[in-house]
Amino acid sequence: MAQGDDLARIIIGCKNGDSRCFSQVVDMYASRCYGYFYRLTGNGDVSDELLSELFVKLVEKIGSYKGGSFESWLFKIASNLFHDHLRGKQRRKRLIEVQQEQIESEIAEPKRSDDEQVDKLQMRLKRLDPDTRELIMLRFYSQLSFKEIARVRSEPIGTTLAKTHRGLKKLRQLMEG
Amino acid sequence: MDAQDRENLKELIERFFEAGQAESCGEDFRKAEQILREYPAPEPDDMLIANIKADIAMRLGSRRATRLRRLLCDAAGVAAAIVILATVSMELFVASNRQRGGSVYTASIIPTAVWESDDIAADDADLAVFTAEIEQIEHEVLTLQAGEEAGESESTLTELEMELAELNSDFWKG
Repeated sequence: MAQGDDLARIIIGCKNGDSRCFSQVVDMYASRCYGYFYRLTGNGDVSDELLSELFVKLVEKIGSYKGGSFESWLFKIASNLFHDHLRGKQRRKRLIEVQQEQIESEIAEPKRSDDEQVDKLQMRLKRLDPDTRELIMLRFYSQLSFKEIARVRSEPIGTTLAKTHRGLKKLRQLMEG
Repeated sequence: MDAQDRENLKELIERFFEAGQAESCGEDFRKAEQILREYPAPEPDDMLIANIKADIAMRLGSRRATRLRRLLCDAAGVAAAIVILATVSMELFVASNRQRGGSVYTASIIPTAVWESDDIAADDADLAVFTAEIEQIEHEVLTLQAGEEAGESESTLTELEMELAELNSDFWKG
């Protein structure tokens, strides 16, 4: 993981349109961002799509990054992309009038089960409400502090902390139960 | 060191939870995060990463080309504006000069009587007389300036001035 100075240098390179610097950012964050999308959608193809879109957005928006936590900025974009994806799903759902359960399972059901453990966690995660699930994944994959997560979500830090605690406690019970 | 490492979670939990709850809360955090670490999400495919990098390089290339095109368009626009401005300025300058030229008044310095006279012989005789008188006056002025004449210079000057005035009047009368 690049240290602060290295990251700052890489970001300056990105702002200057250096493709090597963008490649470095992809190497640094692709795994975590993919994990975030995968745990939220449970779908490898959708996660591939969202990850590609995320880095396209990064190229488009890097000029608007004005300093501060880069992870926070990047995961804010990732979160917005995920919500756009959900809204798209909802629109499609209304249009074709398929059953609610089918859509839900499409969002949360893993299509690519690499091993048994992944499936178990994914199955338990879908029992959490979407907001809590997203909060836990944001905390785990972005590695942001609660203060930064609260800022990304535009809510008080106490609310973020309490929601995360409730979600993790429930997840723990589900996994151990 | 990431933001989570820098964050003092224990202190944060104690700020928002009662003393009795804080410990079990901290335990929930630790255990749940341990579970998440034990069940890692799949890694993105290498091909996907390669495609993303290639897509970024392509976008940056096309963006550079677009920026260059925009720069050229801007330069062409500025050049066109300068040419138009120069043309308009030149037009205005020429028009202004033309207008100023029209307001110039001219007049002849030759008396109308002489100019319009057809009697060349008489005019020549008049000119000869005027010329002789002017030469004489000129001579007298030079004599006075040289101090050769011992007479009353003041009265002589007055006389000369009167002669000049008379001559001038005669000349302009034709």
